[in-house]
Amino acid sequence: MEISRETLLDMHRRMVRIRTFEEEAGKLMESGKVPGALHLYVGEEAVAAGVMTHLRDQDQITSTHRGHGHLVAKGGDLKKMYAELYGRVTGYCKGKGGSMHICDLDLGMLGANGIVGAGPVIAIGAAFSNRYRKTDNVTVCFFGDGASNEGTFHEAANMAALYKLPVVFVCENNGFGEFTRQERHQAVHDIADRAAGYGMPGVIVDGMDAIAVHEAAGEAIARARRGLGPTLLECKTYRYFDHVGVRGMGVIYRDDSEVLEWRKRDPIELMESRLAEQGILSADEAAAIRAGFLAEVREAIAFAEASPFPAPEALMEDIYTTAAG
Amino acid sequence: MTTTEAPVARELTYVAAVGEAFGQLMREDPNVFICGEDVSLYGSVFGVTRGLLAEFGPERVVDTPISESGIMGLGLGAAATGLRPIVDIMFMDFMTVCMDEIVNQIAKMKYMFGGKAVLPLTIHTMAGAGSSMAAQHSQSLEAWFCHVPGLKVVMPSGPYEAKGLLVAAVRDDNPVMVINTKTLLGMRAEVPEALYEIPLGKANVVRPGTNFTIVAIGRMVSESLKAAETLAADGLDVEVIDPRTLQPFDTETVVASVRKTHRALIAHEAVRFGGIGAEFAAQIQEEAFDHLDAPVGRVGAPFSPVPFSPVLEKEYMPNADRIVSEVRRILGKQA
Amino acid sequence: MGGVVGIVANPASGKDIRRLVAHASVFDNREKRSIVRRAILGANAVGIERFVYLPDSHGIVLSALEDLDADAEFEALDSPETGTALDTMRVAAAMRERDVDVVITLGGDGTNRAFALGWRDAPLVAVSTGTNNVFPKMVEGTIAGAAAGLVATRAVSLQEASRQVKAVHVEIERERDDLALIDAVLLDEPFVGAKAVWDIRRVRTLVLARAEPAAVGMSAIGGLLQPVPESADGGLLVEVGAGGSEVLAPIAPGLYVPVGVREARALGLDERVEIRGPGVIALDGERERRLAPGQSARLTVRRDGPRVIDVALTMRLAACRGLFRMTQGEADGD
Repeated sequence: MEISRETLLDMHRRMVRIRTFEEEAGKLMESGKVPGALHLYVGEEAVAAGVMTHLRDQDQITSTHRGHGHLVAKGGDLKKMYAELYGRVTGYCKGKGGSMHICDLDLGMLGANGIVGAGPVIAIGAAFSNRYRKTDNVTVCFFGDGASNEGTFHEAANMAALYKLPVVFVCENNGFGEFTRQERHQAVHDIADRAAGYGMPGVIVDGMDAIAVHEAAGEAIARARRGLGPTLLECKTYRYFDHVGVRGMGVIYRDDSEVLEWRKRDPIELMESRLAEQGILSADEAAAIRAGFLAEVREAIAFAEASPFPAPEALMEDIYTTAAG
Repeated sequence: MTTTEAPVARELTYVAAVGEAFGQLMREDPNVFICGEDVSLYGSVFGVTRGLLAEFGPERVVDTPISESGIMGLGLGAAATGLRPIVDIMFMDFMTVCMDEIVNQIAKMKYMFGGKAVLPLTIHTMAGAGSSMAAQHSQSLEAWFCHVPGLKVVMPSGPYEAKGLLVAAVRDDNPVMVINTKTLLGMRAEVPEALYEIPLGKANVVRPGTNFTIVAIGRMVSESLKAAETLAADGLDVEVIDPRTLQPFDTETVVASVRKTHRALIAHEAVRFGGIGAEFAAQIQEEAFDHLDAPVGRVGAPFSPVPFSPVLEKEYMPNADRIVSEVRRILGKQA
Repeated sequence: MGGVVGIVANPASGKDIRRLVAHASVFDNREKRSIVRRAILGANAVGIERFVYLPDSHGIVLSALEDLDADAEFEALDSPETGTALDTMRVAAAMRERDVDVVITLGGDGTNRAFALGWRDAPLVAVSTGTNNVFPKMVEGTIAGAAAGLVATRAVSLQEASRQVKAVHVEIERERDDLALIDAVLLDEPFVGAKAVWDIRRVRTLVLARAEPAAVGMSAIGGLLQPVPESADGGLLVEVGAGGSEVLAPIAPGLYVPVGVREARALGLDERVEIRGPGVIALDGERERRLAPGQSARLTVRRDGPRVIDVALTMRLAACRGLFRMTQGEADGD
């Protein structure tokens, strides 16, 4: 598959933007500046970047509790994202949703979700709608290895294949359902194996390699756009941090050596070394990109911190759609 | 577009009124489609979607697998992306297998997203006992859904209400659950041919009266009317109110009635404990305590699963006789 | 008597992107587990009581052993687990050191290639569970096990049951050598990416140890032009591109594409072909090695690959020798 120089750089930028956003968000959570819990995407950036470089704004995605990376990669506004994490009125959800419900309907991002396995059935609805409205838009459903054990995944996969819906199920298999290792939560090792049971293709790609994800996702998305139905794409990836928050090392549920082993194949470093080999991106240029995103992130954090909290009367607003809107 | 008054009326069964409304709504708005188990080729096990497939085709009248979460999610995803789905859940009991989609997703999406999501979604279902369908095909679970901010809940009491409330539900830009009662499906009444709406959130005074208020929902409306006739012989002039919409509840109409009659009873088929009648009674005493001459009474099913045997089921189901005796008991208690 | 049979099941075979871009079906690990069980029972039936195996990351063999009614010892070879082809390579080397008599592999061309990297002339019964398989054969696990057992116990000798197959040696300038059992291909690709080869527009040069007209994959391109069977002492060089003839070839399951061929010519054993980067070298259907601009690699077909056991031949020899006839006492269950 021909991947242009621009696309390679684009994937790299999206990954760095996610990493920078998430690392700074993690610090804010640790220091108690943002309330609640954050589920961070660090380590899994190649999946979002590899997939999202194929999508248009009108293509929808459904996300997970670990959803920041998806929105950042889809082109989300970091100011509105941080403001939402801070619970401010300028946030994506006016401070009513927070990290687990961050969304941008204009970008087709149908929301992060606090319920594991909620996304697949929503995704088939959006995909149904794409076809009903005679568009060639596709819906990408991100979900984890944990969510693959929810009944919703089974129902959605069956219906998507039955109706040949324009949807791609992207399983971000990071090896853990919360704190439970995959072999302790399912008897299959490859979730892609399950695809055969639904009558759709199931493939595995290296989820640390944005180029591999991009290639496979490109084929799956093109297939969906052509009306040929869904695909299950399992990306083998790894969560550097804990289920919630940062830490991730010195924990009871996995060995540090495993984390270090995966970090050797860091998706951003892997991409940078390839881009350097190809003469596309020098180390200095890569550093400049990081610095640029760090500046964007700091500006977004400053914006969030300067933004007002919602007025108390906002509590009872936005529950129902009224004639007024 | 909206005709609130009926120019010509004919008699239709409840089933025919619902079917007519579906067809007219789909003709009116190309974004309306219906999906559910056996709604297309078979025309629904209750017959409410018969004939729709022939007119609108399988793209708009969609048979689904037996996958309630999938069906509900399909409706949600489609509604969030510009369509106006009608999702049919064959028996209300099956709501239990798609509670996440209804309660955590559909009801809350707008709020969680800071108001941006618009979900014009109708959830259409059948409730109620009386057909020997036993404990998993006979429940009335409306109270659960009235408890969830973000949902609207309507419960038609006859063919006229069935059509008018369904039209209002489908045209509403919010998720609305339409709870039909199975034992009413054969009921006949005058139903206008034109498309008309019964406004959501507005109660109907079915029988005006002066000295007792019965607030009844679903099948209990017709039972209450029968009870009112019996009680008239006792010299009691009963006012029967059908809230039609349970969420939002028309407290104003009900409280105005109680202020006039000074006595009230709530009747529903659902289990009495924790039923919607408890909420209605609480609202009445909060708003009209000084006007009450007696405790607010409640008629509902006993705290039992719905039994199978017709003898037991008859024992289970509230009816006009029970309403009459409860009214008499309340009158005996008054100060 | 005795004899030790090794078992290698590749959990990753049969799941790559060709499931999506072509029409290959998913080969799930439950089925692999069940093939392993049948192979063990087959080998056990002909007298094998010792097995060594690769404890793969998916636990295929380990789970196959659960509740298995076989009177045998099973030894897991201790190998650091990486979940990559490196596991197979390391276990192959360990099996060679152990003097394992016969190894049963479950996988595709890629699995056997990885095994051969660790033990190049291994005695193999190769059972196909991969995608574009030329090297391993579709064979029922029970019989694969029996044939492996017969050779391992010397009831049928390795010499009479097997043939040493060809391999393509890949010597890459300034880097470690590599190996292909069927085909080595130079692609006009900058990255290894999703590994499998399916976009014919990127293919430049093929060096085939076998050109099989009945195969699917790169081997078929040569095979449909100028067949070179495994028995022939030589290979085939194909230069892909416009300006010559065109052949319609199945380059992945169900995926027939017209392939322009500038040149196709026979290669003698040990004849060197030089290729030059930039590009990616795919080995047995998977993109494996990147060549920098100007970096060269030398490809050579040699007959020094695994000793592949012919299952049908082995069973025929065993049957002719009466190895399966039971004595009266055995038949009576005495």
